[in-house]
Amino acid sequence: MKSILQILLIVSLLLLSAFSSYAKEKISGAEVINNNCARCHNARAVHEFSIPEWKVIMPHMRAKAHLTGQETKAVLEFLELTSQSVAQAKKVVPENAIAPDGKQLFTQFGCQGCHSLQGDGGTVGPALDETIKNKGIGFFIKKLQNPQFNNSSSPMPKMPLNEQQIEAIAEYIKS
Amino acid sequence: MLKLLPIAIATAVVSGQLLANEQQENSRFAIAGYGDVKYEDSKVMDSSAFSARFIPIFLFSLSDKIHIEAETEISIDEQGETEVELEYADIHYFLSDTTTFTAGKFLLPFGQYGPYQHPSWINRSVFSPGIYGGIGGHGGYQPMQGLLPVMSDIGVGIQHIIPLGKNQKILFDLYMTNGLAAEAPHDDEEEGHDEESILEGNEEVDEHTLELPELAFEARSGDNNSDKALGGRIAYAFLPGVEVGASYYTAKYDDDQQLGFTATGFDINWIGNHYIVRGEYIRTEADAFEEDEHEENKVITFDRNGWYLQATFMAGKMFSVLQGTDFVVEYAETNKINEAERWAYGINYWLDSRAVIKATYEDTTVHDGEDDKRFAIQYSYGF
Repeated sequence: MKSILQILLIVSLLLLSAFSSYAKEKISGAEVINNNCARCHNARAVHEFSIPEWKVIMPHMRAKAHLTGQETKAVLEFLELTSQSVAQAKKVVPENAIAPDGKQLFTQFGCQGCHSLQGDGGTVGPALDETIKNKGIGFFIKKLQNPQFNNSSSPMPKMPLNEQQIEAIAEYIKS
Repeated sequence: MLKLLPIAIATAVVSGQLLANEQQENSRFAIAGYGDVKYEDSKVMDSSAFSARFIPIFLFSLSDKIHIEAETEISIDEQGETEVELEYADIHYFLSDTTTFTAGKFLLPFGQYGPYQHPSWINRSVFSPGIYGGIGGHGGYQPMQGLLPVMSDIGVGIQHIIPLGKNQKILFDLYMTNGLAAEAPHDDEEEGHDEESILEGNEEVDEHTLELPELAFEARSGDNNSDKALGGRIAYAFLPGVEVGASYYTAKYDDDQQLGFTATGFDINWIGNHYIVRGEYIRTEADAFEEDEHEENKVITFDRNGWYLQATFMAGKMFSVLQGTDFVVEYAETNKINEAERWAYGINYWLDSRAVIKATYEDTTVHDGEDDKRFAIQYSYGF
């Protein structure tokens, strides 16, 4: 009996420590979408609903998909970020007109939440390692400017990125 | 004075616009849902027909802590009458970051198909899996007698999540609801025609004198006894690829609380880059009275089980020429009583991420019953 209690105590402490460390990490909304939406349905495109509507829909999905409050909030933040125009995004994305930081933008927009790069990242979208090599820079730029141009069922959001920023991300991916 | 009028009007218009914008930013109402149109040709029913459903979900956010949702199914029955069914209407209270309390009428978290995957734009087949066959809607009549319907009932529930790092979670669901009741006998009911024998323990039970109890799973705002249904599900989710769960449901269904019904289930949802594998095993135990040679009632238990496995190959994700195309194959069987097995083959084409045209052919073999072959095309959409 004593040993069972000890095991339960150790398991509980492990669960709590795991939870505590997770709670401190910055959660990627794109990653939450990648990890949870496909459990039931296809990922929905951001533009299907307005942000005020998403704010009402996400608590529903919180219960349906067993999301934590933090994860729900992270998804909403991602939806708000990606529904902005390029002009609006300038306010939140540090802009360097001469040399935008591709890696920083890649992280800022949660690209790796849905796409893998060098074996790390989500699976909702295709791996990005060979995309530019196989399909060309023109395809990559067009895809970010209009994600549904080659696939009407693509859930990829149109990121509020200008051409320089897109090129910076392309450079980062190629490197 | 007249000079001030345009300024006052302009001020009022701007103020109204600002107020409208503010309200829009803080909207607390949204409508989502799904619908479908189906053409179905069935051998056993000797008919073919179109049918349609519209299933709106009304969502309200009262505050950061309180959320209300209601889903109605609006459809037309075979006689042309419009049917409106309240599938769920409940209120969530988010007790903490990881715990949610729910009250009202809600989909019972038993397995994955019932609470999460039965909407037609989520289910990759036109038909419900055989073990959720023709009882309780969500698939209409099926020759394979299902083990459970999609269960929705009135009561309270609690959901708790334990995140284990970034990609793993343990999910708990517990609930207490009014529970099921015995189905009212039909006037045209014929008894004792089943030739099948079943085994109960070491005793062989002759079904000439017995019938599988008919249970009413429909939610009611009353209860025929003071017993409440209890149930829950525990699941392990290794995201984004795998979720496995175990479910339990138990309730007394007769007026005197002597007869019980228990269901146990195991489920899996396995998602890869190009495939989805979904499956469930369900076992049910339903008590019934049998009259012995001394004309006294004794309780016997009907034990049934069944399972299904549905595999979807998302060919469009692998071959660009097949963009939007899925191939689906599903096998289901029910055992011990009303045995049947079914193969289903389907092809789906996604018009976009929320609209799909599905075509499914289904071949059911019913032991001691009429076999069936069915074909259906369904246009389903989520909105």
